[in-house]
Amino acid sequence: MRSSMSCVVAGTVAALLVCTSALAHHGAASIYDMTKETTIKATVTEYVWTNPHTELGISLSGGTKTELLLELGSPPNIRNRGWTSRTVKAGDAVTVTFHPGLRGAKIGVVIKLVTADGKELHA
Amino acid sequence: MIRHLLVLSTAAALFAAAACSKPAAAPAAPAHPNLSGSWVRPLGDREVGGLPPVNEIPLTPWAAAKFKAERPAAGENQDFANTTDPSLRYADPNGYPRISLHPMRFKLVQTDDYVYQLWEYNQNWRQIALNVPPDPDPAITWYGNAVGKWEGDTLVVDSVGYKDSTWLDARGLPHTQDLHLVERIHRAGENLAFDITFEDPGAFTKPWAAHLIFKPSPEGSMTENIYTISDELRFRERFLQQKVTIPIRR
Repeated sequence: MRSSMSCVVAGTVAALLVCTSALAHHGAASIYDMTKETTIKATVTEYVWTNPHTELGISLSGGTKTELLLELGSPPNIRNRGWTSRTVKAGDAVTVTFHPGLRGAKIGVVIKLVTADGKELHA
Repeated sequence: MIRHLLVLSTAAALFAAAACSKPAAAPAAPAHPNLSGSWVRPLGDREVGGLPPVNEIPLTPWAAAKFKAERPAAGENQDFANTTDPSLRYADPNGYPRISLHPMRFKLVQTDDYVYQLWEYNQNWRQIALNVPPDPDPAITWYGNAVGKWEGDTLVVDSVGYKDSTWLDARGLPHTQDLHLVERIHRAGENLAFDITFEDPGAFTKPWAAHLIFKPSPEGSMTENIYTISDELRFRERFLQQKVTIPIRR
């Protein structure tokens, strides 16, 4: 019970951080379902350290084509949370949690990513 | 014998010089506090303040109508897809003080003649000339024309000459070219405080104030974060499937 409550609190804090971060550029609520969280295992197809937001392409089928395009915060903001321009690369296996796009759009905003070696990073 | 005399005379001269000279003065205390350093308003930190709610800002009818017509990219009346925010639509510089409201760092570099504010966002900067009169005919620029002077431990900055196409914040708060800011910048414990008074007869029926707190940034180095129209349009093309009508870098 205690751990599930901790998860809820941690998830809420993470969501708030992402909301605030995303709002720095655009209203995330107009693009993503901020009430929903999805966690999947995927393969990185692209990782672009850019403005206004760092981009993470993933494949759910293990291929090289981007099937879902996710955004993170701006480089300075996610650098503060441990990300670098080389945190992941195409071909890496990751577990990623994100708010999915509205209306079935194949996009999302990352909440958390776990690398193959178990490193956990919040976006 | 001669060598002996030389040694004695040299010693006597050194003794006489030492006896005549005054004791070395202690280093003078700095005339003003050092505001230099890396400063940031951390994401989600409720202590750092901000501009007041819009209903507490005394907008003129012109400003109220302009504010109502704007479509900010975030917040209450957000319309990201069709935003009128000049910093997104045209990748215009943020202007001041909007650029300081980003959750990104700035460095303050203090010299005898100038104080420089260097923002991580877009690598923009402004200079505050110290102890000089205001320019009677300032150029109209993105970051204004600022002069400063010390009043005790507070750096008082007076600035005018702001381009009126910028927003004062991401909500779309307008101003005219007559915007006049008076900032009182001072240490508040380990933090840095900016008390800003906004005067603009075209936009505000009376002066109003904002209080901003910046915290020391543990990370001194700044990350390049230059934002261009290609970046914005590429994002829109990829995430919103908006058609790009001008050539952009992909």
